[in-house]
Amino acid sequence: MARETQQSTSKNIVELATFYIGDALCGMNILKVQEINKLMKMTKVPQAPDYVLGILNLRGQIVTIIDLGKKLGLGETDISLDPRNIIVNSSGSYVGLLVRKIGDVVEADMKKLEASPANMRGIQGDYFTGVYKTQSNLIGILDIDKVLSIDE
Amino acid sequence: MQFEDDEILQGFIEESLEHLADIENDLLAIEESGSNIDEDLVNKVFRAAHSIKGGAGFMGLTAIQELSHASENVLGMIRSKKLTPNPEIINVLLLASDQLQRMIEDVQNSNDVDITSHVDPLNAIADGTFAQTAPLPEQHAPRETPPAPEKKPAAEIPPLEIDLEEEPEFLPEPEIVAPPEPEYDPHPEQPEEAEEEFQEETEEDLYEPETPALMTASPAVVDTQPMAAANTPQRAALKPETTIRVNVSLLDSLMTLAGELVLSRNQLLQTIGTDDFRNAETVGQRIDLITSELQEAIMLTRMQPIGNVFNKFPRVVRDLSKKLKKKIDITIVGKDVELDKTIIEAINDPLTHLVRNSVDHGIEMPEARRKIGKSDSGLVVLKAYHEAGQVVIEISDDGKGLDGEALAESAVNKGLLTAEQIKLMSEKEKINLIFLPGFSTAAKVTDVSGRGVGMDVVKTNLDQLGGHVDITSEVGRGTTISIKLPLTLAIIPCQIIMTGGERYAIPQVNLEELLRIPANQVKERVERVGDAEVVRLRGNLLPLIRLSDVIGLDRTYWDNNEEEFKEDRREQMSDRRGKESPLFGTEAREERKKKQQAPNRSVIDRRHSASSALNIVVVSTGSMKYGLVVDRLLDSEEIVIKPLGRHLQQCKGYAGATIMGDGRIALILDVSNLARIANLTSLDGSDRAAEVAIAAEEAIKAQKDKQALLIFRSSEYEQFGVPLNQVERIEKIKLSDIEELGGKRVMKYREGSLSLIRVDDVAMVQPLADIDNLLVIVFNVANRNVGLLAIGPIDAIEISVDIDDVTLKQTGIMGSAIIDTHTTMLVNIFELVQTLFPEWFHNMEKYELGEDDDGVAPTILLAEDSNFFRNQVKSYMTESGYDVIEAEDGKIAWELLQQHKELISMVITDIEMPNMNGFELTKTIRSDPRFTGIPVIALTTLAAEEDVAKGMAVGVDEYHIKLDKERLMASVHHYMKKMH
Repeated sequence: MARETQQSTSKNIVELATFYIGDALCGMNILKVQEINKLMKMTKVPQAPDYVLGILNLRGQIVTIIDLGKKLGLGETDISLDPRNIIVNSSGSYVGLLVRKIGDVVEADMKKLEASPANMRGIQGDYFTGVYKTQSNLIGILDIDKVLSIDE
Repeated sequence: MQFEDDEILQGFIEESLEHLADIENDLLAIEESGSNIDEDLVNKVFRAAHSIKGGAGFMGLTAIQELSHASENVLGMIRSKKLTPNPEIINVLLLASDQLQRMIEDVQNSNDVDITSHVDPLNAIADGTFAQTAPLPEQHAPRETPPAPEKKPAAEIPPLEIDLEEEPEFLPEPEIVAPPEPEYDPHPEQPEEAEEEFQEETEEDLYEPETPALMTASPAVVDTQPMAAANTPQRAALKPETTIRVNVSLLDSLMTLAGELVLSRNQLLQTIGTDDFRNAETVGQRIDLITSELQEAIMLTRMQPIGNVFNKFPRVVRDLSKKLKKKIDITIVGKDVELDKTIIEAINDPLTHLVRNSVDHGIEMPEARRKIGKSDSGLVVLKAYHEAGQVVIEISDDGKGLDGEALAESAVNKGLLTAEQIKLMSEKEKINLIFLPGFSTAAKVTDVSGRGVGMDVVKTNLDQLGGHVDITSEVGRGTTISIKLPLTLAIIPCQIIMTGGERYAIPQVNLEELLRIPANQVKERVERVGDAEVVRLRGNLLPLIRLSDVIGLDRTYWDNNEEEFKEDRREQMSDRRGKESPLFGTEAREERKKKQQAPNRSVIDRRHSASSALNIVVVSTGSMKYGLVVDRLLDSEEIVIKPLGRHLQQCKGYAGATIMGDGRIALILDVSNLARIANLTSLDGSDRAAEVAIAAEEAIKAQKDKQALLIFRSSEYEQFGVPLNQVERIEKIKLSDIEELGGKRVMKYREGSLSLIRVDDVAMVQPLADIDNLLVIVFNVANRNVGLLAIGPIDAIEISVDIDDVTLKQTGIMGSAIIDTHTTMLVNIFELVQTLFPEWFHNMEKYELGEDDDGVAPTILLAEDSNFFRNQVKSYMTESGYDVIEAEDGKIAWELLQQHKELISMVITDIEMPNMNGFELTKTIRSDPRFTGIPVIALTTLAAEEDVAKGMAVGVDEYHIKLDKERLMASVHHYMKKMH
């Protein structure tokens, strides 16, 4: 709650980068996104957690590619369907989030953010900071730092 | 106060402030976890305090030294669990660390600061008298008005109550203690920096009406949380920027190079637009050249002479030796050797520890030295030099050296290792025990060293740097510790290898050699010991690890002809078809036929092709050495290490990643962790120890006996084994040494003739190989020597296997076992000799027959879980005319003994048995008054000294080795005679 109020006072309109994980439309603050790539050739890391697809070289930075679908329990993202990589900088290291499809950029009024349901199309509600309703859609706002935390 | 060397002082200040910055949060974390102590954390704080103390002592900052010493004492007690950290204790420690920080920030005046108000309560805690005597309130004064040393009169404030559970005598007077509590408790928890932010949240607590004393502890604990958070940014801001001094000429050359690079870039840009390939090539070369020069120059800016660290040691040694009343000279060699700045900084602490150790523990007192003929003054030598692209630093002393046995004993006494583990260790491993955390050789704790921090700090720090520590020591002659360090941490040379289609890098520091075993030699050179595969390398056994197995990839191999990786189906490297031998069971042969009919021809044909060769990277880490089996060996390259993201931190097999020339990433292997993952546990990699350890582990697991066997061959294809303890010696002879006289084979042996026998004289096995170089295994049977002719290779192994006493049993062969995938026939040397020279036994048998006069055969209870050994021992007994009651384990034996208590006149028991072992059985028998007089003989395959001692303690009369028939029977007769 504290977080929401804080956001509403500091900044009301946030641009959301939206993308699909499975069928779920999710979004994140576009300022967190460094770039969006096609899937490049990766180096596999044996012994890595199953949601880590591999690592790749992004202009001299080592980027860990994470299958967001798998990480959130929605099953593997089909690599043959031309998925995209959203590169974010999370806690100092670069991480690539593999998603099924990229959606539009949506301007969202954070005041209208609603509490997330316990479960949204198969994704645990914990991973969302909230849900934003557009005219046609529901966008789950992913808490990327939480998704990428390694507490398990 | 004047300081001679400003740079060292500055270094000390920076380093200490860094340590202190961490201490605070760590202390709070320790407090939070309470009695559930996180040892690593306590260790970390402890070492920080230790380092500050060490540095301060050297700089002559007595006040800082005294205060950190007192803190260290308390932390030491927490570490050894003598003290449970509670908020009050942590509070005192925190106050002390704040005071330390203030003193270090104003180091010039630090010696004038009165620190008794901090030292006294710390010492009180350490003495266990904290609650009664500590005038703790004095502490609050500097707290609330930080720089002012003014104190409130002690009389005003009653002593602070501490952990009531620990001090039950305090309980009767809580009401006296209670009133001032709410006033004081929240206060000391606040650092001054955090006070403002903190005010809001704590105000309620502060002005809350009287809280019962017992309650105060809990708000205090909660309070620490926001404080820790508020602190972090402040601390970070305080941290000084690290700077480096660079020679101006070096900067100039960097400038020039940068200019050249810009020029080349312009040229390149121009060339890109045209089709002039030759020009592009030239520009490319030029850029290549400049880049390498630039890289070198930049590396140089980070290089500093090791003298920066070495220079402080003459003083350290002088001061210390004065303090300890020793005479010590120090020699420094190689001051100019340059190392990366980060490394120079990081080796400061470890080196200080090592030098202090040498001075304190290594060098003896002058009198002691004189007694053993050494000169009065000891010598410590510090030496730095380049070797194979690394820098080696040696610290040697001519002191008393390290006694491996003493170290081992001490480790056992401290509960760090078990006596069993020690037994498997080599001398070198024992010396390396000194690196175990919590290990200290000094009998008492001194100000100088001897808390058991030194060596494990050294090891941890050096490990982080990618360095190696190696100790060589000779008792009475001195110790040399050599540290191998990489020149720099940023760029390391690596061997690139390929497995499963991916490239991996192995740091060259870990690389010993590359080994390729051609396909046709794999069978001979790769063997199995227990579960591990080993390769014979110049007479030593080297454990092998398959990289693909360790990191969980499918096995592949590189097909040279088709230039691709293919799936490998072999289970074991040693699983290659060899020459047909009658020893292989029909089952195995059939299986093979099936395999040969398998559809995939390429797998079958492969054993003849070059791709079947094994590529092995021999790596060493610390003193462990093993072979890593990989698919392909590629180039060696200089690579830049990049860390892996946090999602991959759990993959312990990698030290990082690097970007290769083609832009792809290769993982850097961490060879010591790979060994750990593969359960290659030996501290030394001495293969013997590893084998023994494996065998021991299995024996414990299976509750089976270990058997030491000498493995040999008689014909080329049949492997035999005899119990090692029956073997007297092994001689190498030539075929021509054998003489045939009077129908008997003899040779000259120690002034007499030695009868020579062959396994095939008696048993139906293949005849002795017709070769010139033979071996004679000498046994002592019936008090006479007899030599068994054999051929190599011979090996002594310790195994625990099931012995099959049916399939291959015949006269002279007591059974068979599978050893290293070879069926091995166990030779019964008594039977061989008995068959060939029956006359040798005449005297003996008479002695045996005259044994029992009253007509009834005495009965022996035999407890033994292995069928094979039970049958063997039983046959010895029945041959000599005794009746035997058999039991499969100790429990059954005990029941049988009770049933037949009149009948049984002796118990022979194995040690390792399920349900009830031999020790327990003996104990049970000895504790029952009905069986007081009954002799108990214990049988063992390995008469280990401690087993013997343990057996004697529980009441075993005698110990014998299972297959040593003569001694066993002599002893049985002896006891029987006594009984009748």
